[in-house]
Amino acid sequence: MTTQLDQLSAEEIGNRLRMARDAAKLKQSEVAEELEIARTTLVAIEQGQRRARMDEIRRLAKLYGTSINALLRTGAVVTDLAPQFRRQYGRQDDAAEQAARLLTELAQAEVELENLLGVKRSRNYPPERPILPGDVRTQAEHDALELRQWLGLGFNPVTDIVTLLELQLGVRVYIRKLDVRVAGLFAFDEALGACMLLNANHPRERRAQTAAHELAHFISTRRRPEILDERENLNSKEERYANSFARAFLTPSPAVKLKFKEITAGAEKLTRRHVVILAHFFGVSREAMVRRLEDLDLTRDGTWDWFATYGGITDEQAHQVLGDLPGPDKHSADAGKPTTLQLGLLAAEVSQQGLLSEGQLARLLHLDRVELRRMLDGLQIEGSEADGAVLTR
Amino acid sequence: MGLSSLDDETAPFIVDASTVINLNGTNCAAAILGALPNRIIVMDAVIDELRMDNRSSRDDAKLLASLLADGLVSEMTIEALKDDHFEHLVLGNTADTLDDGEAAAIACAIEMQAVAVIDERKAKRICRARYPWVIIASTVDVLAHDRVVKALGDERLAEATYHALSAARMRVLPEHIDWVVNLIGAKRAVLCPSLPGHVRAAAWQKIAKT
Repeated sequence: MTTQLDQLSAEEIGNRLRMARDAAKLKQSEVAEELEIARTTLVAIEQGQRRARMDEIRRLAKLYGTSINALLRTGAVVTDLAPQFRRQYGRQDDAAEQAARLLTELAQAEVELENLLGVKRSRNYPPERPILPGDVRTQAEHDALELRQWLGLGFNPVTDIVTLLELQLGVRVYIRKLDVRVAGLFAFDEALGACMLLNANHPRERRAQTAAHELAHFISTRRRPEILDERENLNSKEERYANSFARAFLTPSPAVKLKFKEITAGAEKLTRRHVVILAHFFGVSREAMVRRLEDLDLTRDGTWDWFATYGGITDEQAHQVLGDLPGPDKHSADAGKPTTLQLGLLAAEVSQQGLLSEGQLARLLHLDRVELRRMLDGLQIEGSEADGAVLTR
Repeated sequence: MGLSSLDDETAPFIVDASTVINLNGTNCAAAILGALPNRIIVMDAVIDELRMDNRSSRDDAKLLASLLADGLVSEMTIEALKDDHFEHLVLGNTADTLDDGEAAAIACAIEMQAVAVIDERKAKRICRARYPWVIIASTVDVLAHDRVVKALGDERLAEATYHALSAARMRVLPEHIDWVVNLIGAKRAVLCPSLPGHVRAAAWQKIAKT
């Protein structure tokens, strides 16, 4: 007799079980011991050489802290980005591993919810520009300006790089609180598309820098996962390219030169006030701004170090110049919520249409049931038809 | 009160995680379940789920363990189910399947000719469509059970229902809204975000008039 389980191939079941074990950070030997089966049996199951029985799948799901439904429903998105990162970087520390896992979970959930709703996220990816032999800095400057033209930005400042990445390019960008050492991650996968995770614990100017850095990897080394970690060696060709690209993308040389001339007109020295205004205009940190001015020979090398030696340029000084002009950091505020706004909205629609049960949705979003209910209440999605207006499509 | 149709004292009640969370939210789950003449069963998959479902600093698993220890609820395992309803409910397309706890509760209700007490719309819809003979109830049906009403009294029941709505964000079916609002009163109804917005707006108007 054919069962529901027979609709999935032994290879597919094995692959999903292997990924779930990996996500649970368990070794085959540990699982075999826990379930009192031979390790070779588990190997055979994971390789699809032996079809797992329902009772075995149930015990494995329990051990992996998941459900049979989450493991084997046919709409589940079964891609794990963490092994990609591990292959690239060798054995990772916990902070990087957790960040990679979080990026996977967010992207998986978003894609499954989109698929359920029939939403097709448009991918408007720019052409790849592999790093060529020669001066990477020159190439990065060129590629950054080319992308600016492609996006229709000209030399205007990038006021919100996250929105640009999401809406103009179709990159999945998530801003969540990560270990302070991890600035951001980038990965590309056929099923999930281009995905980026930025650290909400960093100030928004630094996040913009990170996003531009990861954008450089998207342009130059798209199929290679990337983690921007403060302990990372930034001297490789790829990293030098990414840093130069980020600077050129956020602070394009013609615009910086023009604005510098305007702001410092009549002045004999570069003051803190000048730096604060320029940094605010281009949406970058004060340090990044000064280093870019040094880079473009608009100020002497070592200017930032001089500022740093004499007390730096403080937030208070910036506030004296700008007042409340910068406005609240909405992305950082959003990061404190149980899930992203976009995921919340998709989840609310899926819930409203009855496409996922409360248990399925809570598990997919890694929320507990009451957390999920609070989120849906906040979006005012539960309830009767009397609580919303009809959209015309 | 006469709302609840759970009048068969011999049919066990199979409670899903959504119901356990709501009952714990009342702050008097033991008194409610103790008042019922029916046997209350919870599936092992539900217990497993509640053990992990604790991010918002609740501990439904601990509360459920005390209900189990007091004999107010008994546990049943998926392995004990003879038919393959569970398998049919968890495997397949995402939109046509349920998570393990919800599926196990329904599968158990089918086999034991019991009442599935589930506060979850998709689970109810799938159960009605595939197993129309299964009796489905909600937490509100349990709260409105004659024995519970009698045991708790109106004010304690109102307070318990209000707690389930405010702490556990209990969902209320449209046909139960009037009963709930009449029980807890307009002043408490406006404080319950899980009640639909138009219901809270109507409660505000009622308060304003008085």
